[in-house]
Amino acid sequence: MTAANPAVQPTPALRVCLWCVVAVLAEVGLYASYRGHDARFHWFTHFFVGAAAALVVMAAVAARIRRPVPLPLVWPFLAHVMAMFPDFLFAGGVAHEPWMDLFLGHISTHFMPGRNLTWFVVFLLALAAYLAVVARFPAADDR
Amino acid sequence: MVIWLAAAIGLGLLLSVARAAREPLDDPDPAWQRPGFVDAGDLPVPAPAVAPGLPAPSRPTVVFFERTGRLPRLCRVFAASGLPDKATATAVVVDGAGTHSCEGADAVVNDADGALAAAYGMRRPRGGGTPVGYAVVDSAGAIRYRTLDPAVADELSEVRTILDALP
Repeated sequence: MTAANPAVQPTPALRVCLWCVVAVLAEVGLYASYRGHDARFHWFTHFFVGAAAALVVMAAVAARIRRPVPLPLVWPFLAHVMAMFPDFLFAGGVAHEPWMDLFLGHISTHFMPGRNLTWFVVFLLALAAYLAVVARFPAADDR
Repeated sequence: MVIWLAAAIGLGLLLSVARAAREPLDDPDPAWQRPGFVDAGDLPVPAPAVAPGLPAPSRPTVVFFERTGRLPRLCRVFAASGLPDKATATAVVVDGAGTHSCEGADAVVNDADGALAAAYGMRRPRGGGTPVGYAVVDSAGAIRYRTLDPAVADELSEVRTILDALP
């Protein structure tokens, strides 16, 4: 038997794809945490808001450290968890209150004109900003 | 880069599918369906009378709005849910004429023309017709919460959460 061939080590792109699978599974878990058939609306709102906030922070961090941020798919996931945190409380029997807007506008973001379509556009703009920042750096496979 | 672009396209497709998959009994504006907090929008407002003694003068009242064909299922789950209980009055407003009964409810009221639903400010479902959902009235007689909720029979614990949030 020979030692593992370095030629078959995962490439950076493949590593990111493994993170993709983990991120997708985690997001499926968040979706499943909603009861009721109208979970889609709430999931999308908090995902787009959380991911957009994360991408803005990621762009700022990347510009400062002059390379793409590590574990780029984890940031939007964690921000999504933060944005939907009051929904975990609701599932535990705690109704929403205005102060829960501290969690990335958990209450008021639902009432944005244009609703989730608007938040999708915001998410795309934040994504474009992050990609524009990391495009300035070399060897940026791990974006 | 490719991964991010694929994610953006995929999310756009999923969002389109989600918007197309809304059901006829859903609120046309999903932001107003199950908002999860009391006093949303123009609430609180005085609650119209549903039946003699309802809303109850000294305890919260839940007014369910249901369609006649769906009534038996809602009433079946009442017993298992612990709601209605002695601390909460319950009225069920149905959209048909005739005599209906619902074990555990304090009253079952006909509202064939939808006037009572309109008086409660219940929103019109996406597919038209009378609303399916509920309103929560506090012990002072004010509507503090109202929502369309076609799956209310599966989510009566959520009604309890709103009742617990009443000041």
